[in-house]
Amino acid sequence: MVKVEFRIRRFDGERSYWESYELEAKRGMTVLEALFHIKENLDGSLAFRASCRMGICGSCAVKINDKPRLACETQILAIGKSLIKIEPLDNFRILKDLVTDFEGFFAKHKKVKPYLIRDVSYSNPVELLQSPRELDRYYIYTLCIKCGACYSVCPAAATRESYLGPAAMTAAYRFCADSRDRGKRKRIPILSEDGGVWRCHLAMECSEVCPKGVEPAKAVQMMRRSTAIEMIRSLFRRSR
Amino acid sequence: MVVETKSAKNILEPLAWLLQLITGTILVFLVTIHFYLTHMTSHDALRYEFVVERLSTSPYTAMYAILILTVTFHAFNGLRAIILDTEFGAKYRRVINMLIFLAFLSAFAYGIYLLATIP
Repeated sequence: MVKVEFRIRRFDGERSYWESYELEAKRGMTVLEALFHIKENLDGSLAFRASCRMGICGSCAVKINDKPRLACETQILAIGKSLIKIEPLDNFRILKDLVTDFEGFFAKHKKVKPYLIRDVSYSNPVELLQSPRELDRYYIYTLCIKCGACYSVCPAAATRESYLGPAAMTAAYRFCADSRDRGKRKRIPILSEDGGVWRCHLAMECSEVCPKGVEPAKAVQMMRRSTAIEMIRSLFRRSR
Repeated sequence: MVVETKSAKNILEPLAWLLQLITGTILVFLVTIHFYLTHMTSHDALRYEFVVERLSTSPYTAMYAILILTVTFHAFNGLRAIILDTEFGAKYRRVINMLIFLAFLSAFAYGIYLLATIP
């Protein structure tokens, strides 16, 4: 058992302040377990978001010692510090303590049409065949859990509210790269808007912090290349 | 008419991005040549008469004209991207695009004027 100080950034709707809690951390204990311990035993007013507790839902992403991580997948002793700072994610509006507003984030995700768009009739369904090689082209991008870690470190998202952000563009690429999808031409005009792929400056922090190793920066670059090619092709199509 | 405006708006960003890549690549070569000529060939390479002599030969004049074009485009397009990254830039996007384009043209024209009028 090791005594650890948790310094948590609190927000009550009006003012923001730091509050410290001390607890005994045992081997294997996660930051999320510590937050639950604090809420249940030390301060019931502490607000945070959590659901699956196993790195699947993406609800518990917070800034732990200045880096966005999933609280449920971060073991306290693995951090190796006696002081652990916990803050809400950057680039999101804070609702209370560690709870941030994800409405805009999900609206941007929805905007890029993150689903298979087919040009077949569903009244006469056919089997959608796909080779392992075709699956490999986009598989890694299906692992995104929409935790918002990438968005919180993106410098472009920090300065432009209308910027789609790495997660939404990764979702767009995931479907555009899917051999079963026919929606590329519907997504490209959305991604080519002023707040789309052109605002990314390849800081690559999104890939650095992604807890699932998704590499959003690569997806954005791939999407930018296809968008540029498609937009220039469309110019020749119009002039014909 | 509306379709044309929409087309131009859509094509501006991909074209600007592609040209930024192309000018960046050209600049790597031209700036290397420029530094080699001015700093590694002779200690007197930056003396006025040597500069004039160099610029009076057409291959050098052509190279510097291309350097002026690429460097002004690359710099002003980069500045445009920085401004458009802000909420202010998003609000006045069209005005900023026009002002930056005018600034690019002015800087380019001034550079070419200097190049052409050097004795």
